[in-house]
Amino acid sequence: MHVVIINGSPRVQKYSNTEKIIASFAKGLSEKGVSFETYAVSDRKSWDNIQKAYIENEEILIALPLYVECIPGLLLEFLETLPQKDEHTRLSFLLQSGFSEGCQLRCGEGFLKELPGYLGVRYGGCLVKGDNFGIRFLDQEKQERITKPYQEMGELFARGDGFFGEEAKKFTGPEYFSLPMRLLLQFLFKTLSRKMFQKVAASWGCTVSLTEKIWETN
Amino acid sequence: MILMLDTTREQIGKQLAEEMLHSGVSSASYELIDTTKLHISHCVGCNVCWLKTPGICAIKDDYAPILEKMSKADQVWLISDTHFGFVSYQTKNIVDRVMPLVTMYLQIKNGQTRHVMRYDHQPDFGIIYTGDGKQDYLEWWCQRLTLNFGSRSLGVFPAEHSKEAVTCML
Repeated sequence: MHVVIINGSPRVQKYSNTEKIIASFAKGLSEKGVSFETYAVSDRKSWDNIQKAYIENEEILIALPLYVECIPGLLLEFLETLPQKDEHTRLSFLLQSGFSEGCQLRCGEGFLKELPGYLGVRYGGCLVKGDNFGIRFLDQEKQERITKPYQEMGELFARGDGFFGEEAKKFTGPEYFSLPMRLLLQFLFKTLSRKMFQKVAASWGCTVSLTEKIWETN
Repeated sequence: MILMLDTTREQIGKQLAEEMLHSGVSSASYELIDTTKLHISHCVGCNVCWLKTPGICAIKDDYAPILEKMSKADQVWLISDTHFGFVSYQTKNIVDRVMPLVTMYLQIKNGQTRHVMRYDHQPDFGIIYTGDGKQDYLEWWCQRLTLNFGSRSLGVFPAEHSKEAVTCML
């Protein structure tokens, strides 16, 4: 098997959480002797090359971040440039998001389920996983540790059955948080997580409140 | 205030505005923006609007005045062509760039994680579309979109039934 992996994030690769996830996932593929090539739609200059790879290969995986309940606008624009292919090509997805609960990604997954049909190709399933917002803020060692579970998913994908099995489903984690967990999170969101975000903001040179209003609304 | 953002190639917002006037919607109560001649980039997910210049997008193009109008509007109608059964990338870009309206802070709201809003007032959203939009999917997406704002979906209407959308504006 040879997999064309397309990073569907519009963020520059250097800071892309999806890129780190792909790196770990690809390690899993390599472990099982599966080869791959990677592309990123954030670099418009590479779109011709990505199209070519899409046309010439039959195993395509698009890894992407959730943007407002669906796929990012830039990826949508890129997809419009793809030609029709047939069922010999399989298109699978790795959908990741900042929000943690599985329920947050279902609307995006709903779009991705139908997309292969529009392109004439076969659907290979969608791996769904949240809680990835913070990857970019970590040092490389911690990034590798936190994205490690994706390596197993790469190994799973190398078996050739796409993302339809129970293991892939389980990987999403809880669909909703339990009440005790929600209460705990609500507390953390109001305390520790605010402090953490303020710290990052300060390191980015932010000098105002993160809740700053630019204009007045009625 | 009703804001209509028209990204359609045939600029169907103009016909819609005529229908609105016929139905008694005063021209003072709505604004139609034809975005086809504007430069509106896609969101690049840089997080600057949350963490560096809170509330302000790092991309300097024609989007800023639209964002402020969306923030202040009671209703935002996305008038869109469709691809893959979904809104066009031009419309999705407009929606992806609303991020300055929410803050970096999080909360649990109605059982799910949500961002804390930057402003007190939130617009409702509706969709009017041309072509082969997938009605049930667009409805789902519009519901989810407005869930993030804590506002309401105004509904999803094929362009040929835009009269029904107009009744939601009265």
